[in-house]
Amino acid sequence: MAYQWDFTPVFANADLLAQGLVNTLKVTGTALACGLALGLVLALLRLSRLRLAAWPAGLIIEVFRTTPPLVQLFWFFFALPLIAGIEMTPFLAAAVTFSIQSSAFFAEVFRAGIVSIERGQWEGARAIGMTHGQALRRIVLPQAVKRMIPAFMERAIELMKTTTLVATISYADLLFAANEIAQKTFRPLETLTVAALIYFVVITAFSLFARRLERRLAVSGESTVH
Amino acid sequence: MAQWDFSSVLANSDALLVGAVGTLRIFAICLVAGLGLGLLIGLGRYSRRRVFYWPATAFVEFFRNTPVLVQIVWFYFALPILAPFTISPLAAAALGISLNSAAFSAEIYRGGIQSIERGQWDGARALGMSFLQAMRRIILPQALKRMTPALTNRAIEIFKMSTLASAVAYVELLQQAKLIASLNFNPIEAYTAVAVIFFVFLWPLVQLTYLLERRLARDE
Repeated sequence: MAYQWDFTPVFANADLLAQGLVNTLKVTGTALACGLALGLVLALLRLSRLRLAAWPAGLIIEVFRTTPPLVQLFWFFFALPLIAGIEMTPFLAAAVTFSIQSSAFFAEVFRAGIVSIERGQWEGARAIGMTHGQALRRIVLPQAVKRMIPAFMERAIELMKTTTLVATISYADLLFAANEIAQKTFRPLETLTVAALIYFVVITAFSLFARRLERRLAVSGESTVH
Repeated sequence: MAQWDFSSVLANSDALLVGAVGTLRIFAICLVAGLGLGLLIGLGRYSRRRVFYWPATAFVEFFRNTPVLVQIVWFYFALPILAPFTISPLAAAALGISLNSAAFSAEIYRGGIQSIERGQWDGARALGMSFLQAMRRIILPQALKRMTPALTNRAIEIFKMSTLASAVAYVELLQQAKLIASLNFNPIEAYTAVAVIFFVFLWPLVQLTYLLERRLARDE
């Protein structure tokens, strides 16, 4: 059975795929920005000597690292609106889920990075009269962040792949758009193959960039954390 | 404010049990197939022969750089057009998750094998062992020990990924929660229950991984 490949229906709907890719990047970008910020906060809370701060942060990190992201997404999309009495859109549910989910992973990267900075750096900063917050902001974090870049890149790539889950709650990301086109044109093989290739190209480009950056950091003699 | 009431979930515990069996089944299949195939591909990535190295590398790059849900959907909706057979939700999901896990675990195996000192190879060869004997008796046993935390991590990822099978309507825990939620109008309790089940099951495994990592760091 020789199947007749026909990509014209896919190209005819290229605008839908393009919009889907834009939406994928929108969710990824939002979750990345919020996830990094929240991850830093969680890491600092977890490193705090105050149990009241360290404990809840640890719990959030463990829960979101341990449960499947799709379960989290369904929970935020179907359960949270009923509990909180709010309207939930697929985009909002995805942004909230993936922000918190990725923040749990980012928090562990931040923590490893901060812990990897030698005690002497802290002591030196304190010795010249900096407060804890100043030492963290001006001395420790700038050095730590550099070591964390490869791990951040890896997580960002994971995040982009995870965002495909939003297709299951009907957010029009690239996968969802491909599914729509496949059903409309009866060409699932061509459409889904093209969608897979688009993901492959975007993610490969990003990971090549990440690898190059990592090599440059390695050349500058910087150790990295994972 | 919603009133939490888990009785409607408990009343459907038999449905959840069916889901749990489905989750464990696909987890077991993907664990064995993914980590097994991963070893073969990892050896291919380690090989200096181009016939092994290039296909293994292409496989790893492709499956690491595309989302697993896209792979599952592709196997479910696109593959049957090329292949002369129908494909079940279990087969499609298991294929996607296994191949994806094979690509990731291949890199773990390769890294583990590469981390073994050259002297171990030289010693084994000096004793007259063939490449495969040295690999099986000397290199792999040592490398596996170093890889255990990373492989345990992969197993946890596979368990979490098994929920994606619900996207092609395979009966597992999340799919059953969807069913219970839509029949009883209790998404809060149904999805919370499933989240708790996953957490209770996976948390000890995650702690075990931490323990293995710490022990390995101390031993080396």
